[in-house]
Amino acid sequence: MAPSHNHSHSDAAKMEQIITEFYTKSLHIILESRTPYVSSRNFSGEQIMSMSMSMSSPSSSSSSASASASASASAASSVRPRPRDKWFNLALRGYPGAMENLDLWHHSNPEPMVVDVVLVQRPLDWDPTPNFSPTREEIVIERWVLQYDHTRKVKDNHSSGSSRRSSNTTLHTLYKKSMLLLRSLYLTVRLLPAYKVFRDLNSSAQLRTFSLAYHVSSVIEPFPRSAEAEMQRFGFTPVETSAGRLCLSVLYRSSVLDLGSDPTPLTPQVIPDYVGSPLAEPLKRFPSLPVAGLGNHGSPSSLPFSRRHSWSFDLYRASSPSVSFSPSPTHSESNASISNPASRRFPPTSLPPHPPGTSIAHKNTTSFDEYCPSPTFSPSPSPSPPIYIPGTHLSKDLLRSESAPVNIPTTRLSNLPALSNKQYLPPSPPIKSTRSGTLRTDKFAGPIQTGAAVEQLFSLGKDDNRKYFGTKISSNDSPRISFSRSSSRSLQDDFDDPEFDCPFDVDDDDMTDPGSRPGSFDQKGHISQDAAVGDLVRMLKKAPPLCPEFSSSVNVPQASGSEIWSSSIQEPRPAAQNAVSASVTSSGLVRLKTTADALEELQGYREMKKLLLKQGSKSYT
Amino acid sequence: MNCEVCQLKELEVEHFEIREVLRCILHTIVFHRALGLVRPKDVDLELFDVTYVQCGDVELEKKIDEKIEHFISWVEKHPNKKSQICLSFYEVKNKQPYWFTNKIERLYWEQWYINLNVAQHLKAHSSKSHNSKVVVDPGEEERIARRAAVEASLREVLFQIIKFVNEKKDHVPPIPNGDGVVYFPHEITIPSSSDSAFGMDMIKRMLQTGHPTMLS
Repeated sequence: MAPSHNHSHSDAAKMEQIITEFYTKSLHIILESRTPYVSSRNFSGEQIMSMSMSMSSPSSSSSSASASASASASAASSVRPRPRDKWFNLALRGYPGAMENLDLWHHSNPEPMVVDVVLVQRPLDWDPTPNFSPTREEIVIERWVLQYDHTRKVKDNHSSGSSRRSSNTTLHTLYKKSMLLLRSLYLTVRLLPAYKVFRDLNSSAQLRTFSLAYHVSSVIEPFPRSAEAEMQRFGFTPVETSAGRLCLSVLYRSSVLDLGSDPTPLTPQVIPDYVGSPLAEPLKRFPSLPVAGLGNHGSPSSLPFSRRHSWSFDLYRASSPSVSFSPSPTHSESNASISNPASRRFPPTSLPPHPPGTSIAHKNTTSFDEYCPSPTFSPSPSPSPPIYIPGTHLSKDLLRSESAPVNIPTTRLSNLPALSNKQYLPPSPPIKSTRSGTLRTDKFAGPIQTGAAVEQLFSLGKDDNRKYFGTKISSNDSPRISFSRSSSRSLQDDFDDPEFDCPFDVDDDDMTDPGSRPGSFDQKGHISQDAAVGDLVRMLKKAPPLCPEFSSSVNVPQASGSEIWSSSIQEPRPAAQNAVSASVTSSGLVRLKTTADALEELQGYREMKKLLLKQGSKSYT
Repeated sequence: MNCEVCQLKELEVEHFEIREVLRCILHTIVFHRALGLVRPKDVDLELFDVTYVQCGDVELEKKIDEKIEHFISWVEKHPNKKSQICLSFYEVKNKQPYWFTNKIERLYWEQWYINLNVAQHLKAHSSKSHNSKVVVDPGEEERIARRAAVEASLREVLFQIIKFVNEKKDHVPPIPNGDGVVYFPHEITIPSSSDSAFGMDMIKRMLQTGHPTMLS
């Protein structure tokens, strides 16, 4: 035996080893990125340090040095890599089980290695009985074919020295080219459409109707013509060796995601007008808020109207596009991307009907709930969420309208969370006034205004009439008994009508026009109403824990207010309205408050709240 | 050895996309040329639905990021211009007895030209967001379509790289041994502050490299 023969023999053996390892490595790369839960993506640790000396590849000497250098730089993990992992200088993690029997493919095996990546679809309610798989579908989305073509014979007619050098060079070149091919393969598997499916399966913990499977064989099963037509081919340049060439190619479907897999999640959209936490959090403190009932019905267009008539505040809508009144004007401007143009622009003088009727119902029923949060504007500590006011500019107006008197209803609300929603209907006017013109309220605190406040209160109950009612008030500039009647009517309607709107809803169109404040579209009437509402608000604040800062200002309004409430507590609503009207007419009555009165009122509020909640739930269903 | 040159397809990108696109392309090329032991690291782009691979070398990553930052500042000074980044691989040759060359000679054996056309649409976006009134306004749809087009172009460029690497393997020098280098020596050239200087750089490099036939 000439030395050359030995060398060539060993070189041939090395070449065979390289090619065999090439099969292994390529399968590893393919399966690693097609087999969920068994991929390097799921491994966080690094490996390898220990394996650096076990390399048997021709370039192991160079790779080991670099391996130790690079391995030292990376964190070691407890995962023990297999000896093969460092072949071709491509350290991979994970070791798919299918690679156990890869000895089939080696240098002299002419059969190709065919790896089919299969998309398996099955319904979620798949019955795991063996014979039951009616809708299980398996579609081959990728087919990788690796073959070593024995097209050339090994040339052994070299001299010893040159043959060794050339074989070394050949081996080195083979190894280098194999490395390049495997690098390309590694990148290509991540660029093909099937990778998205794999990543989807890996990343999501949801139960999916599809999964990926693979099938390794040595037989190329032809595709049906229809399937083949949908496939594209990508072939890697073969690696030439002295004994043949390594050919790798892939047939892949370009439209994998159309094969009935779960719809891809919507692209996250930036919500330009997202209103932040001030909206969400206050709501949470009002357990009675039927936020869930509202659901996401609030279409953008409905929100503004809900704002008008009630403090309809939807926890979901909180993050939805409607303009929401928030302490920060910028928040209101950052509503969801689906903000409706209507929500931004409020007709300043009219209350257009809600385009989505259901949303009205929704918001109406929850109006009180949301209304309660409305006093957020005030500096009170109440966590009530800001009122949604369509139109970012409205928020600024609302901010301006905030002032001390607003605290009255706010703190009251905070102190009586149980009463939050429905029972606050009567107090709503004050809140409304606070929202819309607190300044004016301040000016006009006084008994005269009480009636106006009350009448405004009731007038606001009606969606469509509120504005008009306000107009009437404005024209008169002072409370009238007639108003109270109409207001009582409206109050009754409010109670009975599932589409009750909180009378204290800030009219968004009011907000649009700074000059037109709650309920009235005339500045004069506005002022008087505001004052009235403010007085009423103060009236209602009589509970001891409430902020006493306003108590000194109005004894009279409070007294009349308590009368109103106590009467409403005990009587049916229509009667309550009448009582209220009566008390309105006798607004001059002054009565000292006692704790007992307060408690009595509290009970009344609770009952009212329950009633209103019932009504609200009815309207939802 | 000849110097293989690959001109990548031009990409039209927006300013905020430059970083991701360049990182993706540069790392993809270097991954092919990092023939030392690598631990590939998959990186998902944020702006596009593309996953590329880094060779896991922290220093290389820093170097690339640095160059990208330089490029971005260059782009900011020269808006709306077509720009080119050149990634060159070279071999370090010993000092050659040529009187007009430097001591250390670089023999470039591969050059990649990344062609970018940076568009400036930032202001249009911000103004549109204020005026948007519908769920998806025309500007948004346009943006989505444009983003999809850029993603498709980026994939094309990546496939172009893969094909080039596959087709041309003979010119790749032997893998450097033992010095712990994971990748071939390379340099990233960005346009300098003036076009003339950039041209001068090219001339300088030509002088350094010399004509292939002049070298042994």
